[in-house]
Amino acid sequence: MTATSLQFKPIPKQTPETNTLTRLCAEKLTLKHGKTSIIENLDVSLPEGKVTAIVGPNGCGKSTLLNGLSRIHSPSSGFVLLDGKDIHSLPSKEVARRLALLPQDTLAPDGITIEELIRFGRHPHQSLLKQWAMDDQQAINYALNAADLEGLKDRLLDTLSGGQRQRAWIAMSIAQETPLLLLDEPTSALDLGHQIEVFELIRNLSRQGKTLAMVVHDLPSACRYSDHIIAMKKGEIITQGSPKEVMTKELVRELYGVECDLIPDPMTGSPILINMKRVRS
Amino acid sequence: MINQSLSLPNNEEITTAPNGHRLLSLGRHMTILIEKQAIIRNVWLLILLAIACVATLGIGTMPISPKEVIAVLFGHGNAMSQFIVQDLRLPRLLAALFTGAAFSLAGCLMQTMARNRLATPGIIGIDNAAMAFAVSSVVGMGISLAPSVMALAGAATATALAFGLAGGSGTRGYRFIVAGIGIGAIAGAVTQLLLSQVSIDVANSAYPWTVGSLSARDPMMVSILGIGLVICLVACLLFASQFALMPFSDQVIMGLGANIKYIRIVALILCITLTGLAVAVAGPVGLIALIGPEIARVLARYRGIPLISSALAGALVMILADLFGRTVLSPIELPVGIVTAVIGGPYLIWILVRRTSRTSL
Repeated sequence: MTATSLQFKPIPKQTPETNTLTRLCAEKLTLKHGKTSIIENLDVSLPEGKVTAIVGPNGCGKSTLLNGLSRIHSPSSGFVLLDGKDIHSLPSKEVARRLALLPQDTLAPDGITIEELIRFGRHPHQSLLKQWAMDDQQAINYALNAADLEGLKDRLLDTLSGGQRQRAWIAMSIAQETPLLLLDEPTSALDLGHQIEVFELIRNLSRQGKTLAMVVHDLPSACRYSDHIIAMKKGEIITQGSPKEVMTKELVRELYGVECDLIPDPMTGSPILINMKRVRS
Repeated sequence: MINQSLSLPNNEEITTAPNGHRLLSLGRHMTILIEKQAIIRNVWLLILLAIACVATLGIGTMPISPKEVIAVLFGHGNAMSQFIVQDLRLPRLLAALFTGAAFSLAGCLMQTMARNRLATPGIIGIDNAAMAFAVSSVVGMGISLAPSVMALAGAATATALAFGLAGGSGTRGYRFIVAGIGIGAIAGAVTQLLLSQVSIDVANSAYPWTVGSLSARDPMMVSILGIGLVICLVACLLFASQFALMPFSDQVIMGLGANIKYIRIVALILCITLTGLAVAVAGPVGLIALIGPEIARVLARYRGIPLISSALAGALVMILADLFGRTVLSPIELPVGIVTAVIGGPYLIWILVRRTSRTSL
């Protein structure tokens, strides 16, 4: 079976009033941890078919936003709209067939193999009396292929390198066959080679028509591997747009209190940060 | 022609089950996956269990040959053997079988839910609370309901308290366990207090509950436990694919479209039911809930959540422990709770110490 012979399932019909350019957006979203507001009255939407990078300092609400968008964190007020409908009004399994989330905290059952982990991605497509079908098998083969894990599928998850393990988790989300995929710091704790491996996988998924959003810490990588950047600070979106428009010296100072110069990457043209210095912000 | 091409776009491909599984097709759209290794494991456990049952029915002050035991079970055999097997030994065997399976299944569920191998109903204080309630109904303090009902109420109360005291952290994390240990200690003290307040005869009648014994159990409560156990086992099979998600983080479980609160409530209700009904029969034999699932996990090579194997292994251990307690110092009988503590304790320590590489559950 080849990757090209398989396609993602057709996108479900959208309601007429929906903005066709975005399938996932938030309106006046307020998210709280206990009594503390992390995000207040936020409007945001993910551009269709693109990779969106969410950047910002620690504690700015990036992960909370991702959890809010993926209905893990219920809003105190406002809405998250998936295909024009309140995400909390849709059955959770239905949401899981359209939207996958890869959280940072990736606890897995003991003694699980790569293939078994990826099989869990099929959970939203299965039921008590439909435990295994052709489409499950195809989706798993496709995910193994896309994440380049075919040779490792019978290995135990905890015997793999960090990069392979992260690819396995992403493969689980791929097997979920959702048009939308949200990733929370998919490359944190990975070395340079493994980071690039994961970013290239994300790029490939976007070329195949998926809409992706990821929380990223490394600004040059965010610029290089995304089409759209959302910069957040203290629960608010400061600016958003294409990497070239958004990434400026001023933004870096504002976000991180770091003075720097930006030069274009001679090969790709995407911004690179040089001459960085911490200043008081 | 058209119909065919529509329904089978990929007709050269045949659906095959994933590695180590067998696919059962029930009609066109119904498929059930069965893990081969689990079937083999459970069949072996069933065979061992059957052997242990026949041995238990045969061994005693009046030995009966295995052949005779089997004859009696199929409705033959002489009157003496029939009386000994069916009226004396079978009720006790059933009590051991059901309580062992119930404690162990509850233990496996609770451990999985709390993602902690220490978190069995016994440690969380559910056993002790069920015991305190059961004893209070026997010694006539409070309302005199059947001990089964009181034990269930005790189990539910302890769980609710442990949850309340654990605050937002739910069943995960140490607050739940620490709260449960406290509740268990209080419930144990209440039991002792109740027993110290009543006459020696009443205290004696409640004594089996405090040590865990299978001797002369109420057949009514054994039947109730048997029915409860069957219902809980069926529920475990129906919820197997959702329970299998429990070792993942909450975010992953919710992300896969499962309702984590619902799964936890179902698992907790099963734990309370199994533990409460089993305590009503045998008292707190809590170590079974640690040993049974541990054996099942070793047999399953630490893959998946071996609920059915836990139940079978728990039943096996309970039967063997009771057989040992009944025969080793014959005619003196050791209560099964003492045997499981004496034999099970060191065995458990050995298992825990031996296993170094995998420690997360």
